[in-house]
Amino acid sequence: MSAELEIQLIAIMVAIACSLPGVFLVLRRMAMMSDAITHTILLGIVIAFFITNDLSSPFLIVGAALMGVITVFLIELLNSTKLVSEDSAIGVVFPLLFSLAIIIISKYAGSVHLDTDSVLLGEIGYAPFNRLYIAGRDFGPKSLYSMGIVLLLNLIFIILFFKELKLVTFDPALAAILGFTPTLIHYGLMTMVSVTAVAAFESVGSILVIAFMIGPPISAYLLTDDLKKMIILSGLIGSINGILGYQLAAYLDVSIAGSMALMTGLVFLLIFIFAPKRGLLTVLRRRRIQKEDFAEKSLLFHLLNHEGEADELKESGIGTIAEHLNWKKDYLDKIINRLEENGIIYIEDDTIKLTEKGRIYTIESYEEIMYET
Amino acid sequence: MLLALSIFLVLSVGCTKQEAQVDNGKYNVVVTTTILGDTVREIGGELINLEILMGPGVDPHLYKASAGDVKKMTKADMIIYNGLHLEGKMGDVFENMKNQGKLIFAATDGVDESKLLDFDANPGHYDPHLWFDISLWKEVAVRINEGLKELAEEHSEEFDKNLEGFLEKLTELDEYIRNRIEELPEDKRVLVTAHDAFKYFGKAYGFEVRGLQGISTEAEASTADVRELADFIVEKEIKAIFVESSVPKKNIEALQEAVRAKGFNVEIGGELYSDSTGGPGTEAESYIGTFKSNIDTIVDALK
Repeated sequence: MSAELEIQLIAIMVAIACSLPGVFLVLRRMAMMSDAITHTILLGIVIAFFITNDLSSPFLIVGAALMGVITVFLIELLNSTKLVSEDSAIGVVFPLLFSLAIIIISKYAGSVHLDTDSVLLGEIGYAPFNRLYIAGRDFGPKSLYSMGIVLLLNLIFIILFFKELKLVTFDPALAAILGFTPTLIHYGLMTMVSVTAVAAFESVGSILVIAFMIGPPISAYLLTDDLKKMIILSGLIGSINGILGYQLAAYLDVSIAGSMALMTGLVFLLIFIFAPKRGLLTVLRRRRIQKEDFAEKSLLFHLLNHEGEADELKESGIGTIAEHLNWKKDYLDKIINRLEENGIIYIEDDTIKLTEKGRIYTIESYEEIMYET
Repeated sequence: MLLALSIFLVLSVGCTKQEAQVDNGKYNVVVTTTILGDTVREIGGELINLEILMGPGVDPHLYKASAGDVKKMTKADMIIYNGLHLEGKMGDVFENMKNQGKLIFAATDGVDESKLLDFDANPGHYDPHLWFDISLWKEVAVRINEGLKELAEEHSEEFDKNLEGFLEKLTELDEYIRNRIEELPEDKRVLVTAHDAFKYFGKAYGFEVRGLQGISTEAEASTADVRELADFIVEKEIKAIFVESSVPKKNIEALQEAVRAKGFNVEIGGELYSDSTGGPGTEAESYIGTFKSNIDTIVDALK
């Protein structure tokens, strides 16, 4: 297998593994928690390293996962005092733990092959060169296996606890009444985020972990309301981001992790603008239609109101109506033209008048607004 | 959906298909720094394809591989890196790659450890900037020659001949440097630069060397460092300090300001090449040109 293919495969695995917990983080409005955890796990790794003195020890993952849970615990503890909000609590706890890790690393920089640079923007480009050898045989890049295991664990967790996760996410109060412990599921999810971040940490760095954890789920959220579909779509969008990001990096000859993060942002932006139901364009179009509909009806009510009155010529006259409604002339002309084309109004003796059809439509609309809402 | 994904994947792999291992029958040799690159070019000449990962002006301590660099590394038949932690985390990557049947070695591993300079900050680690001591760089060139012969035995004679020529040029360069330094009275032989890249130079040619930052450009200079160095400059009445091509100027300019505040005027003597050679087309494109340019800048400014 070529290095290019391996890099893209690792990226896909990271993307899917990250998007699984990411969906729930986004739905529970805890995106920033991923930012905090992906950074504070460094302290767990550093402490575990000083205990085991082995950079490839599995206890590093345990230490990191523990530190992730401790981070969440500290944030919740601070938040539960009601003196600070959750985002401020994150803003205090995360820099505190992260800087502790940095200070320890820089103090013992010589003996630890951990530098902050590679933690923040780890290099996925090097992943194919760090291979697994068993009895002299090449079994492919190590990160393919570590990410594969994490992906599997995340999948199992989500499949086993899908109902609980769903309930806790959308209705924590009901979940508590039904006897689920939201706290347990909450910490389970946070452990998942920590373990994923540790595994992805050496191959892609924590910025890409955040990009993969948050970007694809919020993109998918704009496309669907169904939780299962959202999970699948997130994995898919994440994978596409990874592949497109690699292609961009190869084309421009730049950093691979950087392009993947960039692509995540770009793809989100595209979906944000063009999503069929929740996209910016759709929302703007819907607002414009509502606004015009409202304007049409206001005009019609005005006409009906003054129909047959003595001041009809003044109020509904083609030259004077703009003043009475206080609208811009161009906008008014546009609305009048459309209503005329639809046979709702006609113009006679310089006065705008309702047709028979128009009168019925206007009265119906009026009643609809008055009685049905 | 999975199907669509796999089709997509196959398509995208198609776009990035690798070229053959050996282009036009020559071996692909990848090196990290431009200084190493020029040395390999001197010995390997036209017999090899040379690719350099870190271009001129790139700071090797902060280098990040691009997608193209990864491709160059996978295509390489041989990779030569400086070692002694100059390439930071990449050094670990190279260590890992040694298991993959590629010829990979650190050019500095041929140098006797007793000749290397210690870091003060990290005992057990050596200063990697040894290209400014010609006697050591000769040993590196010999090591590179051995490596190339291992890769392409059939060209051994040519490599040996090229090495001999290069070593002669280095001896001439050494004479040139010593002659130029003679122009400076001994008490003027003080070199103040942005980071500690010139310790070997100082030891080889009798200069007192002071760097504003440590060996790695990653560590920022503290205000205490700046103050201390400013006092030193005032006390010794040093005429000029130097900026480096791969380190931002602002720190040295801050030092100049600090000296000025003490009522002494120190000039910025010019730009020295520290971690890489000059860009293509400049006279400092080669290792020898780089060294000459540095020594001219230093001597002219301090005279």
